[in-house]
Amino acid sequence: MNRTRFTNRRDFLKTASAATLSALAAGNARLLAQTEPATGAPKLQPTADTIVVLWMAGGMAHTETFDPKRYTPFEKGIKPADVMSTFPAIDTAVDGIKFSQGLERIGAVMDRGALIRSYTAGDLGFILHSRHQFHWHTGYAPPQTVACPHLGAVIARTLGPLNPAMPAFINIGQRFDMVEGQELKAFTTAGFLGSEYGPFNIALPEQAANAVRPPMGMTPSRFENRDRFYRRLLAESPVMLHGSDHQRESLLRSMDNAHRLLSSPAAKAFDLALEPKENVAKYTGGVTDFTELSDTNRTRDGSYEERTIGRFGLGCLLARRLVEAGARYIEVTTEYIPFLNWDTHEHGHEKAVNMKRTIDAPVAQLVLDLEERGLLDRTLIVLASEFSRDSLVEGKPEQLVKDQVPVPDTIEDIKNYGMHRHFTDAGCVLLFGGGIKRGHLHGATAEERPCKTLQDRVVIEDLHATLYRAMGIPSTQAYEVEKRPFYVTRDGLGRPIESLFG
Amino acid sequence: MKNAFILTLVLGFAGTAPALARLTPEQVAALPPAAEVTVDFARDIKPVFDASCVKCHGRGAAKGGFSLDSRETFLQGGDSGPAAEPGRSAESLLIELVSGLDPDNVMPVKGSRLTVGQVGLFRAWIDQGLVWPAEVSFVKPPALNLHPREVSLPPVSEIAGNHPVDRLLQPYFQEHGIRPAAPVEDRGFARRVYLDTIGLLPPPEELAAFEEDSRPDKRQRLVERLLAENQRYAEHWLTFWNDLLRNDYEGTGYIDGGRKQITGWLHAALAENKPFDRFVAELVNPTEGTEGFVKGIVWRGRINSSQTPPMQAAQNISQVFMGVNLKCASCHDSLINDWKLADAYGMAGIYTDEPLEMVRCDKPTGRKAETRFLYPELGEIPTDAPQAEKRRRLAEILTSKQNGRLTRTLVNRLWEKFMGRGLVEPVDDMEQPAWCPDLLDWLAEDLAAHGYDLKHTMQVILTSRAYQMPAVSLGEQKQSDFVFNGPGVRRMSAEQFRDAFGTVAGVWFESPAAQFDLTAGRSVEEVDAELLPRPVKWIWSDAGAAQKALAETVYLWKRFSLETVPEEAFVAATCDNSFTLYVNGNKVLTGSDFNQPRFADIRSRLRPGENVFAVAAVNHTPGNQPPAEDQPAVEADANPAGFLLYARLRQGRQVLDLGTDATWVCSKTKADHWEQRDFTPANATAAVEVGERSAAPWNLGDRLAGTLSVALIHGEVRASFVPADPLTTALGRPNREQVNTTRPSTATTLQALELTNGGTLNGLLQEAAKHVLAEGAASNNELVSRLYASALGRPPTPNEAALADELLGTSPGKEQVEDLLWAVLMLPEFQMIY
Repeated sequence: MNRTRFTNRRDFLKTASAATLSALAAGNARLLAQTEPATGAPKLQPTADTIVVLWMAGGMAHTETFDPKRYTPFEKGIKPADVMSTFPAIDTAVDGIKFSQGLERIGAVMDRGALIRSYTAGDLGFILHSRHQFHWHTGYAPPQTVACPHLGAVIARTLGPLNPAMPAFINIGQRFDMVEGQELKAFTTAGFLGSEYGPFNIALPEQAANAVRPPMGMTPSRFENRDRFYRRLLAESPVMLHGSDHQRESLLRSMDNAHRLLSSPAAKAFDLALEPKENVAKYTGGVTDFTELSDTNRTRDGSYEERTIGRFGLGCLLARRLVEAGARYIEVTTEYIPFLNWDTHEHGHEKAVNMKRTIDAPVAQLVLDLEERGLLDRTLIVLASEFSRDSLVEGKPEQLVKDQVPVPDTIEDIKNYGMHRHFTDAGCVLLFGGGIKRGHLHGATAEERPCKTLQDRVVIEDLHATLYRAMGIPSTQAYEVEKRPFYVTRDGLGRPIESLFG
Repeated sequence: MKNAFILTLVLGFAGTAPALARLTPEQVAALPPAAEVTVDFARDIKPVFDASCVKCHGRGAAKGGFSLDSRETFLQGGDSGPAAEPGRSAESLLIELVSGLDPDNVMPVKGSRLTVGQVGLFRAWIDQGLVWPAEVSFVKPPALNLHPREVSLPPVSEIAGNHPVDRLLQPYFQEHGIRPAAPVEDRGFARRVYLDTIGLLPPPEELAAFEEDSRPDKRQRLVERLLAENQRYAEHWLTFWNDLLRNDYEGTGYIDGGRKQITGWLHAALAENKPFDRFVAELVNPTEGTEGFVKGIVWRGRINSSQTPPMQAAQNISQVFMGVNLKCASCHDSLINDWKLADAYGMAGIYTDEPLEMVRCDKPTGRKAETRFLYPELGEIPTDAPQAEKRRRLAEILTSKQNGRLTRTLVNRLWEKFMGRGLVEPVDDMEQPAWCPDLLDWLAEDLAAHGYDLKHTMQVILTSRAYQMPAVSLGEQKQSDFVFNGPGVRRMSAEQFRDAFGTVAGVWFESPAAQFDLTAGRSVEEVDAELLPRPVKWIWSDAGAAQKALAETVYLWKRFSLETVPEEAFVAATCDNSFTLYVNGNKVLTGSDFNQPRFADIRSRLRPGENVFAVAAVNHTPGNQPPAEDQPAVEADANPAGFLLYARLRQGRQVLDLGTDATWVCSKTKADHWEQRDFTPANATAAVEVGERSAAPWNLGDRLAGTLSVALIHGEVRASFVPADPLTTALGRPNREQVNTTRPSTATTLQALELTNGGTLNGLLQEAAKHVLAEGAASNNELVSRLYASALGRPPTPNEAALADELLGTSPGKEQVEDLLWAVLMLPEFQMIY
């Protein structure tokens, strides 16, 4: 596989004129000169062309995943304070890096990437998932005086699509018609950059093909006929005889772009039915029937996670196909649903078992598949979450915030066994490919509670600066909004973590 | 965003006064030599002052006591003494400081040093006598567009016509060598005016009547008639004001009470055309219905100090009503305009009880802010007054006739809506000059002089010849070289598009997302005629119940026959004290407050043939307790009782309404199955009419109509009344977390994808095709002509008709109609306002 095939000159000319011209004409936020000394400064050479963010929505506990601590098996009467990890630790492909049981496959590819154990979420006071997710995805804590763009939108605006027929920012796996959906929408947007750079949302990966197919119930031939009819009707329209105007040109160009995507070879990348069944199974832990996935009853007893294993894997498989087809920014989420998935307010251990089953195979497979296709070197995979969890500490040790989860004195029921409070003083981020060091560990946390960051702390500004660095975007880059500069990292303060690069 | 502006060069005679260690002879010798040219202040000196010095020593700032206001203040110098002595540059403090020879005292303090060449020019300037033309000053210029200004209208002339807007524009056109083009034809004008006033496409029959009308003032009449359509006007302008006041039906903040709607108030204010001064006063000095605006959006947890609720209020009020951007200054002295941190806190202080401590870039300064209005010259607000008083005072200042900014900001927004570009741009920066100041100032004064009647100003603009000029393309015009030559081509808003779809295809939204009283802005007679055409009475089992009736339950029945299930069937009912209504045995409505009639859609409960309303109406005790079921009612508990119901049943234009009256029957006996359709009461008697609808003691007034008014739009609800959906979002309906004063008019690919294969539009098209087919058409030609008339306001050309005929084929089905509809909706001619 070679991605140059979609950027050959002929294809590019067919598509670039439309996609890029519309962007130029769209009255977009103006790019401001970087504020770093322009003279003599070498242009940042990107180490990646594509980013895939694997979003562990709801707060993934570091001690239950990629930063295991002392294992405390469940027995009635244990004290929450004694519970460090509810799983034993396992070895990975890298000496000195241990994972929590259940992540064997990712462990086996750890030699292809780097692990940050010192990610520290923002101090936003009261913990609200959507607010921390806003902070993670935009680099700014809400509310703000202007509509902040999502990381994917900044990349879409700055770099444009890689394959001109492919939307530059594709967002997979999040539904918005649920509690806190409005709050999620607030950052899943291009904000002031303009909707051209907004997300192409695919809420249900199992139905991704619908996003680029003719509308429901319309055959491809009817779709083509409709378009042909439209063009003939357009040619007859009296206003087309008048001189051109900006609004009309932009409308027609956008319609061309849309039709081009829907009828381009790139659209096939969205169709998971074209993937051999055995490949699908590799991503979904064996699940191949997805008819019931989106209708699964959302119970909080720990069974929802088990019944939806495979959904995130499908998203990862879709991501692989989209990378191959030349996507620029892809995000795949385990999906944020209050009290479900990684949002473990109770039944934490059982949910962690299933969430690890949800992510272990597909994340590892994505790394391996991209490697096999020669795409890993130029694709940066990032696995992250808005904050971590702990069984006792809400917030961080020095800055406790209001508890939201009651913790009993002793644990009598398995449902109280696990990491149920929101912890912000440490967290794990995995990075694979895209110029990142292999088999590398960054940061360290305390072995005893509170399991907080001890060294090489990473904050969102620096993490974003690192991702931008890989994509060749300086962290001091700014866009103008209301005559003010808006920096891609807060106030341009982000500093890439150079030691992560190979 | 904070800390964001440290890049600007700053020359500051700041902090402690520099020690006046005069330069040594060696240092003097090392100074860059004076330039050997004749210095031109405007060319050589002013740009350096502007770039490096003015931030701290001009435009009202005077760090170290030094100000560049004029030659005099310059010579006078600051705390360290005179800046320069004419003719003696080598001994001048200015040269010492900018030369950088004393590393401890260098100007500018921040940013790049002056170059050797610039220092040389400064020396030459001083040596040549420090020439400083009197007209050059670095003082803060007086606020622009602030004070009201009387503008006398240029004369009526053949070329200008007699409309005030055109007379005001005539000198502008003359100056720019523009000869206004002839007005657009009737159809184009009507389409614009309908969309601009009520947000809807002109119905074909109204358009035809307008085109046939030969009266010379028919355009004026059309504008006036449309502006008088209070309901539709409110439905359209609700979108504009929702954007501005960031009001929405769902969105961030509502989840935990951190946000509050102002919908009911806003809709009524628009429907009643509340004078703009009162409109503003009620928003900034809020009552329960309006407090959502200044309350802002409050998240749980820690908030950046520039986003506290009082600061949000300061920013939003300044932006929306004064065209002032305080966002930068909420965090630090602004680097893009002259607003200071103290100004932002001055406004925020209005919405706190205690004086606020100023916080600069999230670091407390230890200084308390003085409360003050943006422009203190317009009025003072005492820092230590109670909050209620400060709010009242703000409302007073904002809406005072002396505040010419409020009116200018608003008329400029209206001009921008109608013309595609403001007289001042951007519309949120009213400190910029207008391209035609006389026109801006006149429109603003005219608004104030006409009782702040927004519709008056709309009518003035919409009847001008300027508005009627052919549309021009605005996209390519850069702001600086903009010349007005007619309204811009605009794109329909998301709501206009969706409503136009409704008009063309008969597919609307089912019910509104919030409580609207649609009787607002209508006369009582009009409301009664439309909502309550049949008489309706309070009824009970016994005469005199309006004064006295036993505290007991009375059962009431009404039988009626229907040939078919009507297209719509709503009921509103109320009872002193509580009731339960069954329709054909189905419980549909309960109520327990006679002041607040209740509403239900009962269509699905009705059937052809005989139907029955069955009501259990309960008179409570004087203490408002339901009567005990197992004890006889006692005389001592007697108090007024009554039940009132109005059912609104319609089939096409046929009205089948019915209300409570003496044709109802009643009984005090509770029988088994009393609520069922086939139940016949054994000992029922006729109900007694105990009072007119508005009779005492209930004095229901227009509350019954208010409740029933939802029926007026049920099933035909417009896009402004419902939350955003994927289609309207794609078409640019904003997330209203921030104030939105303009919407983008450029199309995007994601938008086109939603239009091309999005599920929302596709579902609408399928529904629409059903409607179109159900309506029937004698021929393809008729179907296409009807579609073109409603969508584009014109017949199809022969070629268009032929193409459509080919698509539809011999017996058009759903799919063909869907595809035809889609193609027409995607035409620029449909989506643009030309």
